[in-house]
Amino acid sequence: MSEVIWQKLDGRVTFALPLRAVLVFVVLLFVVFAITLIALMSGSFPMSATDALRSLAGNPPPDMATTVVWEFRLPRALAAAMAGALLAGSGAVLQTVTRNALADPSLVGVSQGAGLAVVTVLVIFPETPIGLRPVLAFAGALAVATLIQAIAMRRTGGATMRFILTGIGVAAFLGAVTQAMLTYGDLNRAMAALGWLAGSVHAAGWGDVQVLCISLALLIPAMIWAARPLAALRMGPEIATGLGSAVTRDRAALITLSVALAACAVAMVGPLAFVGLIAPHLARRLARSGPGLHLALSLAIGAALVAGADLIGRIAFAPVQIPAGLVTAVIGAPVFGWLLLQHAKS
Amino acid sequence: MIGLRLRTGALALAVLAVAFAWHIAVGAKVIPLATVAEAFWGYDETVFDHVVIRDLRLPRALMAVAVGAGLAVAGALMQGVTRNPLADPGLLGLLAGASFAVVLGTFTGLTSPAVIPVLAAIGALAAASIVWGVASAVPGGASPMTLVLAGAAVTAFLAALTAIMLLIDETSFEALRVWLTGTLAGRPGTAGLWAAGWLVLGLVVALGAARQVTAMAMGDEAATGLGVDVRKLRLAILVSVVALTAAAVALAGPMGFVGLVVPHMVRLVVGHDYRVIVPASAVVGATYLLLADIAARMLLAPVEISTGLITALLGAPVFVWLVRARL
Repeated sequence: MSEVIWQKLDGRVTFALPLRAVLVFVVLLFVVFAITLIALMSGSFPMSATDALRSLAGNPPPDMATTVVWEFRLPRALAAAMAGALLAGSGAVLQTVTRNALADPSLVGVSQGAGLAVVTVLVIFPETPIGLRPVLAFAGALAVATLIQAIAMRRTGGATMRFILTGIGVAAFLGAVTQAMLTYGDLNRAMAALGWLAGSVHAAGWGDVQVLCISLALLIPAMIWAARPLAALRMGPEIATGLGSAVTRDRAALITLSVALAACAVAMVGPLAFVGLIAPHLARRLARSGPGLHLALSLAIGAALVAGADLIGRIAFAPVQIPAGLVTAVIGAPVFGWLLLQHAKS
Repeated sequence: MIGLRLRTGALALAVLAVAFAWHIAVGAKVIPLATVAEAFWGYDETVFDHVVIRDLRLPRALMAVAVGAGLAVAGALMQGVTRNPLADPGLLGLLAGASFAVVLGTFTGLTSPAVIPVLAAIGALAAASIVWGVASAVPGGASPMTLVLAGAAVTAFLAALTAIMLLIDETSFEALRVWLTGTLAGRPGTAGLWAAGWLVLGLVVALGAARQVTAMAMGDEAATGLGVDVRKLRLAILVSVVALTAAAVALAGPMGFVGLVVPHMVRLVVGHDYRVIVPASAVVGATYLLLADIAARMLLAPVEISTGLITALLGAPVFVWLVRARL
């Protein structure tokens, strides 16, 4: 593996940059851009790439193009990409902290906790401003994460498989409560909540994009901070302690970060399954790197995944729109099965 | 010992009878138990309550009994043969497979009453094979954890495919949407009779094999030593579990966690002899689902919750507790 190594002050400041990982990251950014462009072009009002780009630049060919691109397709594509990035980051952090290759926010009930909080609010207090939703989702998700940790943490400090199984049980329970809430609630509100629960970005507008932007802006610095404790924790709690990290504190902070990342995404686009599972693995397979760059790669892959899933869901059975969450589940579940085989081997 | 068993058995049956009568009495209109009794022994078709009981409530109560008994026995057998405290038709993906197959059948126009249980059986069998295949391909064999995780993956995959089919053809699936959460509100008609046939098949095989399952629960070697043909027994149990699951799904959709909770409750009382566990699971499972359905109808009255949601609300904490206590 080729690395660019940068030394200053006789090697006291050294900086190694794995070239391949950086290259992959740049390629991934292009992929995200390409998917966004295709998303802008395709739909019931198709347009050429140049037309799409020209309307983006504020120099649209016919009148309709501006509305279609700016009001419908662009916010939707952006929301998909950003939500995907958030979920992927959440999964990457969670997998490293729990040292469990199968951890995913939607699998262990974190997403469902956020989902329940949001559905409760959608059904009971529909007038709640959209900006508050991530906060509520975060509260719900954090409560669930704490609960699962408390249950799973018993003999061996949160044995990994038990963590996942407990999460599956908690997720089933929360799912049933959410469903019951929908039966009880007013039909129209329930229908709105139902579409959201399938993990769909088709109603995403600039309001959602704004909230997602703010979430990313707040959480990216936290992720940059997280790179260091993640690097220590990934070698196991004993070695991390030996390296001088406060394991309990770091673990709690990182799980909170992971929960926050998932909650922000879930609040806006619903619980998209398996993105947090696939993206970090794909990132690891594409390029070996330290945890910081791995996080960045995961974010880019997550963005590409959800944007791609939304695009597929939009055009595969047009005019019927398949929510992105269903597409990611169809792709993600077999990957999960395959990972299960790999996981037990190692 | 035998006397004690008889007394416990009689008590369980009495509780079942009370639950059955109570289930028929409650609803949108509460009907006094005396009228319920009258509807059976002195049926008068000019009395509105009698007609309601005979045409609406009795079929529903019978469905609850059939589905509860079927799922509970299926769960007990799976737990015994795989020696896995977390085995359940829902957790291991059989319910998802069966309901996916039924939706696929509806999608392609196969809706005749005789075909639905067959489809459900094929789906359950396919899902069981995939879950078992994945879990046993894992080095170290099919442990409870890998089985449940593989089941969760298969369930998620099939649920997404089912949801996509529902979206593509929205109009014809309004009824299926409720059915997919596990409900006893549907009226199966002739399909119910076909499903009952599958149920009887499953129960007969289960009762016949129960004795050998006790040996099997001690381990493959011990069972072979006791003269059990392990492969043949596995096959018989698979047939029984698939038939029972198919019947339950054809009647009421995927009803989660019944097969997990009931056998564990039963084992607490009757011990580890499957000759007792299997019939006891059937009786307790029927009672359990009757009570769950009463809760589903009364909890948020006049709105009715899907019964499958109640069983999930009750069963998921038991699952979490089992994970914590047994693994």
